[in-house]
Parts: sequence; C-alpha cells; structure tokens
Amino acid sequence: MKKISVLVVDDSMVSRAVIKAALSGTNFEICDYAENGMEAIEKYGALQPEVVTMDMNLPDANGIECSKMILAMNPAAKIIMISAMKDHNLIAQGRSVGICSFLQKPVKTQDLLDTIWLVCQKDSCNVKSLQDFYVKPFAKGLRKGLFSLAGLESKVHTEVNKEAFVEIDGIAVIIGLTGDPVGRAILHMDTDAMQKFSESMLNKTMGEELAAEAVTASVEEAANIIIGRGVSLINDVFKDKEMRITPPGTICGHKIRIANAKVLSFNIVAMTRLGEFKLNIGFAEGD
Amino acid sequence: MDAKLVNPFIDAFTAIMPQIGFQDIKRTGITVKERSVESLGVTVLVGFTKAIKGNVAYNMSEDTAKFIASTMMMGMPVASLDDMAQSAISEMSNMLTANAATNLVAMGYETDISTPSISVGETFVVKISSENYLSVRMDLCGHTVEIDIAVQ
Repeated sequence: MKKISVLVVDDSMVSRAVIKAALSGTNFEICDYAENGMEAIEKYGALQPEVVTMDMNLPDANGIECSKMILAMNPAAKIIMISAMKDHNLIAQGRSVGICSFLQKPVKTQDLLDTIWLVCQKDSCNVKSLQDFYVKPFAKGLRKGLFSLAGLESKVHTEVNKEAFVEIDGIAVIIGLTGDPVGRAILHMDTDAMQKFSESMLNKTMGEELAAEAVTASVEEAANIIIGRGVSLINDVFKDKEMRITPPGTICGHKIRIANAKVLSFNIVAMTRLGEFKLNIGFAEGD
Repeated sequence: MDAKLVNPFIDAFTAIMPQIGFQDIKRTGITVKERSVESLGVTVLVGFTKAIKGNVAYNMSEDTAKFIASTMMMGMPVASLDDMAQSAISEMSNMLTANAATNLVAMGYETDISTPSISVGETFVVKISSENYLSVRMDLCGHTVEIDIAVQ
C-alpha cells in the first residue's frame, strides 16, 4: 500500500518529535520538515506532499499566510492546522483561506491519525470542514437542547450518512436551512421515545393523558430550539453567513424514507435513557 | 393565510413544467385545509423564510413521481423511484420553489428557500402548519400533483 506523504511545518523541535512519534508505524510518512514559512513553501513545491500539518506561529510568517501561499500553488492542497490556540476567530480566518481542519496542541495521536485519514478521502476537505464547522454545532445543540428541555443526559455520536435515505419510524420534524450553506435538518425518533420525551418536556407523569397534538407540538418546538441553537452557534463563528431556519414540517408514520438525493448528510445520534434521538443534517451538493 | 400568496406557486408550476417537458397543465381545484396532509406516497417538502415564512409540499403518488422523472429524463423508462428518479424530483421541486420565490420577491417579499426533502412511504401524514393552509390540485398530463402551501 502506497504511503501517504506528510509535510510537517513547525518551528518547535518538540512538536515535530510528537508528530513524528504519532505517525511512526502508520501508513503516513513524513516526507520532510519545515521550520519556517519560506521553507514550507519551497518544500511543498518540491515535494508535493499529500497532506501538510501547519503550525500557527512561525518565525517568518503565520500559518494562515503560509497556507494561503501553498493553496495558491495548489488549490486542492490538504492542510491541517495544529496550533496552541484554536478559537473561533482563527478557525474562521483559516477556513476562509481553505484550511481543511484544525487541531489543538497537545494533539492526541488518534485525533491526528483520524484527521489525516479523513482529509485524504475523496472530497474529504469539504466533508471534514462541513463536519467540523457545521455539524458539530448541531451535535452540541442536540445534547444541550435535550438536557435543557427534558433533563436528558445523552451520549452523542456523529457520522457521515452513507445510506441513500434516512429511515423514519415514528416522527420526523424537517426544518430547512437557508443562507450559506443551504440544507435541511431532520430531528427524528420512534413513537415510544417521542411519547416519553413529550411527557418529560411537559412535566407529565406516566399514564397521564397527553393529547396527540400536544405530543407533536412539543417535538416540533424541541426541533425548533435544538436546530435553532445549532444555527446560532454557526452564525456566531461565521458572521457573514447568516444561516436561517424555516418553519417546521412534520412527518408521522412508519417505514417512511426521506431520500438523501442531492445532499451530503450527517447523522447525529443522541443516546438517552428515553431512547435514541436522531438528527440528520444535510447540505445541498453543488451541481 | 393570504390567498394571494398562492399565485406565485401556481405561476411557477405553469411556467416551469412546460420547460421540462410537460405540455398539458391544468389547475383542477383549490381548497383550504387544516392540519395534516395525507401523503399520496411521495411528498417533497421545501421550507422558506425571510420576509415570509412557511412550507410548500409537493404531494403525488409514486406512479406520478416516476412519470415526472421519466419525462424529465427525456422519456427514459423509470421502473422504480431510484436515486436518479429521486434526484429528478428533487430538482423539479427546487426549480419550482426557486421560481415561486422569485415571483414572491417581485411582489415585495424577499424569500430564501431550503433544500427539498423527499419522503416516500405507503401511509404517512405531513403537517406543514399549525393553522390552515391552501391546497392546489394541478393536473399534469392526466397525473395529479397537489401543491400544499402554508405561510405563517
């Protein structure tokens, strides 16, 4: 199997050693190191590595400027920024020049390997950046929303949806996402989880009668709050995007399939004591 | 909801469908409905927001969806509602709603639309509004497409 070449740009000997240790014995091979921006640009041009790890503070430039010059040479360059700081401002700036992913020092070996692997996949820069910047806020919105609305603790797991559809059995609340990127979010759960969630949200005890309409309305409201929270988190970072949500549309029934046509979507699953709450976030694929 | 907001959707349908291969288009009915729409088998939901907010649902049977997909693909036979057929239906819904949004802008309502969501199933209901909504039935070469429009 062909090894994947990595150029490590970092002025710290310790950081270079950490990355070297993390990649030793893997399918990733460090082709060279660069200690400053000028060297990074020269070595990128000469070696054409598949992936670059980039430090933020270099003696002669910052990592974003250096990445910008590399991306000018090759717009498809896959750059992972590894820096001591990882704040909204830095991410927004880095993303605007085309950096794929961001990791914070000290970087965990597994995180580094996963990230390099992900950015090496086809169209992965896009997938990885959507996941980092647009899906994670929804995962956070789901976890916090379930807790604040119904006191539910949850374990949240996110993955790229590889199925051609999202299977619904119970209820699905679909909320459109407008702005940049355009998409849609679907909060769905089975009937049992829906009923229990609604009871918990409306403070009803088991067995107390709850009208079907109230159950649906509470799930719609929850979807609105959870998805709205995710969008607010995104807008906080990307102040120029101005994403908005549309009113909810709700689907109830069994064995319904919502097609994944023309969207790249992600499944976020929150496991709770009342059952699984699933959020599918889909973004329109370019033509 | 204001009935005049329905016209941009009907106009979009009558303007766009001939461009993608459908010649015989008639409006056969318009009714006020409340609560949920019973899906005819395939329901595409598109949300919109900005100056006006709401949802539009394009509701049709699976046979009609296959007929539309086939016509859009220059008469290519469509045996099942596969990925390609779903893409065609998604594309149609996107074109229709984008055109309706342009018509709404011309009326002074700035509107942004979401990505279409196509749902397929034997029996399910779709709720697009907690209040009344308008349902327009269009005849498309002998097939029925129901357009349900809810504006908040």
